[in-house]
Amino acid sequence: MTDAELDAMLTEPLPALDTTAFSVALMEAVARDAARPARILAWLCVGVLTVILAAAGALGAWAMSRGYDSVAPTAIPLALTALTLLLSASVFQAARE
Amino acid sequence: MDERDLVAQACARDVAAFSALARAHQSKVRGLLLRLTKGNHALADDLAQETFLEAWRAVASFRGDSAFATWLYRIAYSRFLMAARKRKDEPLDDWQGEAPSGENATQARIDLERAFAKLSAPESAALTLCFALGLSNTEAAGALDMPLGTLKSHVLRGREKLKALLGRYP
Repeated sequence: MTDAELDAMLTEPLPALDTTAFSVALMEAVARDAARPARILAWLCVGVLTVILAAAGALGAWAMSRGYDSVAPTAIPLALTALTLLLSASVFQAARE
Repeated sequence: MDERDLVAQACARDVAAFSALARAHQSKVRGLLLRLTKGNHALADDLAQETFLEAWRAVASFRGDSAFATWLYRIAYSRFLMAARKRKDEPLDDWQGEAPSGENATQARIDLERAFAKLSAPESAALTLCFALGLSNTEAAGALDMPLGTLKSHVLRGREKLKALLGRYP
């Protein structure tokens, strides 16, 4: 084989590859990666809200056991319901990401 | 829209712009990796996906000192080297591919790929970048992160090995 023949072979373009499946898989991976910060933030929110929820439950139990009259009877259930809704929304958002 | 605009938009985290860049360059990056992995399509595509994901994460650090394609080849080669280090217990010994698809699937092409599989990774990468992908020696040296003299040695040695190997095939 001569140098010219070898050069001709080497300069041939690389074989064409099917690009469709690769493009789709790549863009899915990029989209997942792009959504990563939002997903991490959502799960952080879930963590924080879980702690708040647990603390609110503990506070409610403590207030009931002490028989405090100053706390409105609906305040704690309402607060717990609101926190639960927030928690659900965060989980839902994280699941969508 | 030219490549510089697409890169600027990708730096601003525009997925569509990055997608256009990936579509434009994926075939060559995958071709390079396919040759380096000795015809292992699955491994080459995994590495190509890792290459583009790393490019997506680091695109803001791309300063335009080299062509975008050269930057991608650099990432691809470094990904290949990392994977090769991890796979040192199961090296890619010989060409594993089927006949290359498409119109170019001639016997000469198959022989060439088999011969490339016998070269070292730097030789194979240097020859592919300088010949099939049309980079200058300086660009290829940058992509492979090696001095220009080393690249030229790899090209010369690779060419000599290929000539000898291709002379053996009937």
